[in-house]
Amino acid sequence: MDELRKTYHQDLDGARAELARLAALVAELIPRATAILLDGDLEGAEYIIRGDEEIDARCVDLEEQCIRILALQAPVATELRQVVALLKMISEVERSGDLVRNICKAARRVYGHDLDPKLRGIITRMGEQAQQVYSAAIESFVENDVAKAAALDDMDAYLDALQKQFIQAIFESQAAERIDMQVAVQLAMVSRFYERIGDHAVNIAERVRFTVTGWVPDHRKPQRTPVDLDGTETIARIETAGDQ
Amino acid sequence: MALDANETLTEVVAPETASPKTVFDLQELEVHYGSFRAVREVNLQIAKNEITAFIGPSGCGKTTVLRCLNRMNDVIPSARVGGKVLYHGIDLYGAGVSATEVRRRIGMVFQRPNPFPKSIYDNVAFGPRVNGVKSKSELDGIVEESLRGAALWDEVSSRLKSSALGMSGGQQQRLCIARAIAVRPEVILMDEPCSALDPIATARIEDLMQDIKSRFTIVIVTHNMQQAGRVSDQTAFFTTEVNASSDRRTGVLVEFDKTTTIFSNPADERTEAYVSGRFG
Repeated sequence: MDELRKTYHQDLDGARAELARLAALVAELIPRATAILLDGDLEGAEYIIRGDEEIDARCVDLEEQCIRILALQAPVATELRQVVALLKMISEVERSGDLVRNICKAARRVYGHDLDPKLRGIITRMGEQAQQVYSAAIESFVENDVAKAAALDDMDAYLDALQKQFIQAIFESQAAERIDMQVAVQLAMVSRFYERIGDHAVNIAERVRFTVTGWVPDHRKPQRTPVDLDGTETIARIETAGDQ
Repeated sequence: MALDANETLTEVVAPETASPKTVFDLQELEVHYGSFRAVREVNLQIAKNEITAFIGPSGCGKTTVLRCLNRMNDVIPSARVGGKVLYHGIDLYGAGVSATEVRRRIGMVFQRPNPFPKSIYDNVAFGPRVNGVKSKSELDGIVEESLRGAALWDEVSSRLKSSALGMSGGQQQRLCIARAIAVRPEVILMDEPCSALDPIATARIEDLMQDIKSRFTIVIVTHNMQQAGRVSDQTAFFTTEVNASSDRRTGVLVEFDKTTTIFSNPADERTEAYVSGRFG
């Protein structure tokens, strides 16, 4: 049977494509922000901080496009879930862009201070893991892949554990008087930014599951990952699993 | 003689000034049936290659205004039109303007499919024949082009000689659209073209409108607000005002704007009440 309501479906596909483009842009910026932080690249920081305004503006445009679709086309069933999910995903992407920008702002604040090699190592791993989680979320969105979306929790748990380990490492540096208090605070916040980027990726994946199946995340359940105060157990568990 | 599709009335009569994008410019339009004023003070512009929807409750005058656009109200003896209906700057109700020529340039599709009791081919060829096209090959070309334009060719090409009355309602309505575009009009007026059709046939007509709007300017009256949202670029909302002394109802144009604005953030609270279903 011929496809009906083509212009409407083109609009919907266009909105999906724009969300994928925006999310991919954010995913691309994560490793750049990490390099900017580690290299003290002030020019690069300035560039990304300004670039975030464009992401914000495009998010607003996309939101308007979704509202237009809701107002004019009255979508139902999967398409209704799609538009509602898009509206929520836009906020996740916009916020993730802000967090990348915040990492670059922190790069300006820690400029001129040498960072402990151990801290540099964990920052690198957090940056890589945040990008991987984010890319997986985008893939699950583009491919409507529910299984991939469901797998994001574990990837994010590893990022959470890295953050805990990082905080622990900051305490150790502080105790050994190898780190300036101000830098310590900035870096602790940076680790939090990476960790939050991962959370936004998980939320995007949850919306993919909602779009495809109608599944709604149940946050009343007990915490999804076991308590692991400094993150070492989680990292050991996931890295061992990865080696097999 | 068949007129060239690109030739317009403006080449025949000296135009008043109007934006080239504006096809119709309604100025202080009023329609009276005898002593009864059915519509008052309608001011709006209809843009080329756009779909403009007229919505509003029964009796608000939307069909009456639509019928002014190709002088269909002429056939009602008591009807009297005030104000101006400028078509490319020419007053359609001015002296020396031929109603027949107006209707060739501005076609109409009605609420109920009304094919002639003739073959599919003869329905589409009817207008061109009246306009003097005699050549069989030329007529064949026009019929095929029009049926393709109405997204009907693939369904009926093998049975052009069979009766149009044997088609489904949706096909008949698309045939009426083919018949309207066969005389190569500039504007197509549609008076609730889908109200007698099921949702699938309706979706086909709506898709067809999107397909042909690059070649025609379309004005549609619809009772179905969602349809106006789905298909149109601009929407005019009409409503009725009751005269307290005479208890008679007169149609007024409340708001005319981009369809997105009308459905997401209308300026007038009467529009809001109507599009959100809280009206009366």
